[in-house]
Amino acid sequence: MADATPAVEIYNLVKDFKISFRRQPLRAVDDVSLRIMPGEVYGLIGPNGSGKSTTMKALLGLVAPTAGRCAIFGKDSLRVDSRHEVGFLPENPYFYKHLSGAETLRFYGKLCGMRGRVLTERVSELLNLVNLESARDRRLGAYSKGMLQRIGLAQALVQDPRLLILDEPTAGVDPLGSRQIRDLIFKLRERGITVFLCSHLLEQVQEVCDRVGIIFQGKLVKEGRLEDLIAIEDQIEIILRDASPQLVAQITALVANSPGAAVVRTGKPRTTLERLFLRATHSDES
Amino acid sequence: MSRAPAKPVRPTHGSHGGRIGVIAMHAFTQLVRMKVFYFLAVFAVIVIGSNFFDLPEHVGPEMSGVHVLHAIKSWSLGTMTLFSVVLGIVATALLLPKDVEDRTLYTILAKPVPRLDYLAGKLLGVLLLVFVSLALMDLLMTVVLHVRTSILLGDLMDIARARGWSVAEVASQRAELLSHGSNWSLQGAVFAVFLRASIMAALALLISTFSSSTLFTSIISFLVYFMGHFQADARNVFLDAGAGGHGQVARVIGLLVALILPDFQLFNVIDAVIEGQAMPLLLLGQLTAVGLFYAVFYTIASWFIFAEKEF
Repeated sequence: MADATPAVEIYNLVKDFKISFRRQPLRAVDDVSLRIMPGEVYGLIGPNGSGKSTTMKALLGLVAPTAGRCAIFGKDSLRVDSRHEVGFLPENPYFYKHLSGAETLRFYGKLCGMRGRVLTERVSELLNLVNLESARDRRLGAYSKGMLQRIGLAQALVQDPRLLILDEPTAGVDPLGSRQIRDLIFKLRERGITVFLCSHLLEQVQEVCDRVGIIFQGKLVKEGRLEDLIAIEDQIEIILRDASPQLVAQITALVANSPGAAVVRTGKPRTTLERLFLRATHSDES
Repeated sequence: MSRAPAKPVRPTHGSHGGRIGVIAMHAFTQLVRMKVFYFLAVFAVIVIGSNFFDLPEHVGPEMSGVHVLHAIKSWSLGTMTLFSVVLGIVATALLLPKDVEDRTLYTILAKPVPRLDYLAGKLLGVLLLVFVSLALMDLLMTVVLHVRTSILLGDLMDIARARGWSVAEVASQRAELLSHGSNWSLQGAVFAVFLRASIMAALALLISTFSSSTLFTSIISFLVYFMGHFQADARNVFLDAGAGGHGQVARVIGLLVALILPDFQLFNVIDAVIEGQAMPLLLLGQLTAVGLFYAVFYTIASWFIFAEKEF
């Protein structure tokens, strides 16, 4: 039976920050409510300063709500025990440069109460998962941006959390690294892990998320299933392979003879620049 | 990207002590890898150099050895005090703002780590570093003192034979010389140096919970360190307020200073040990109680501030 307790519940969250003694406080998050069910991948999108990171911090207990409340799997997020089930990757994380990749994972694992053989096996498993096995004993000071992001993901996963919170997980990462992180999110979804992410890269959010919320000036202005939100209700797309010009002409004529219907656009679908880049760099590597 | 892990990992939630230990060992490793132990080379030079300081006021050739031992102890304990206080303050003042600035604090507090565990771990890591540093310096000082005392005992015997001292006279001079060598009182003095540095590290922790920079924390901590030497005077202002005719404001300030700051004059016993006096066990117990009280008091005060802090 599926778990009915939501992975994330945010009720009427309000967060004000004091700017100075005289001025009005700045409202970073304004009455935001959302719910993420277990196994979902939820994307929170919005411009800079719209309140995405503050919402995530409130969910992790790093900031206290001015009003409203947040819960993780039913536990108030201001309680320390709510964090047993959550892994977090902050935006542009800097980990301890004096530690190696394996030492970093061991450190975070121990903070979660892991010890001995279980921890050793878990560290190897995660380094393998994020493709950093070859750099396990290298200090993080010598890691590239993409490698840091991946070790960050590994530390977020160290205690095998049921919820993963990712703040701009692909910020500053090259397309190849970005693709790896995206593939990892797909794998985590297959395993039933709930993912709550915020990103500026709308195409990536569109690719991985089941549901999205759009936050603007602290308010959640739109929210729902991705397919419902982006579908153009009065249009239908048919993509043909190896269709002759005659067939296309016949279809176009058929549509023209149907009352109320119209061909909006015909032509060859285009690949994305990202796919082109990945194909080119992959063939270079091989 | 490789295969996702197949079997779930369900760790135990861990204990407070376990988490504090992990954070303490990590802070210790972090500081060690910043190469802070290089200062031990400087200490070695000072201790060995103190053997050759020429002191003008010799009573006689038989007493010149005592002055050399006095110089070794004085320079060693002085250097230990300086290094341990600087290390305790600066290392503590460095660790917290660095974690906030690098956002590593987010990843730690996003794990099931209570904020008190984090603070206590950081402080214990610094104290472990100070303790190990002092232990190494103590070892070096003890070895130098032991070697020098052996040489001086030989010289004393030569003087005794040349002058034809009686057995009682030799025993008296020998006891006098040994009282200036390495003994348990000296180890007690080194422990007192550690306690004083611990108080200062805990105070730096408290200041760094509301300070925005390492520099500010360090400056304020050193200022408080010097003020701590006048704590007894502040206490007297409070106690004598009625009789002395001090104003109410002075009385309140005196009370606050006397409560918040430790009385560092208690640690003047270290100077007495350098002079060759014994340190009573009771006094060492009293210093330990004072050190523990202020370290715990400052840590709890830090927690109250840190628990409300937003990142």
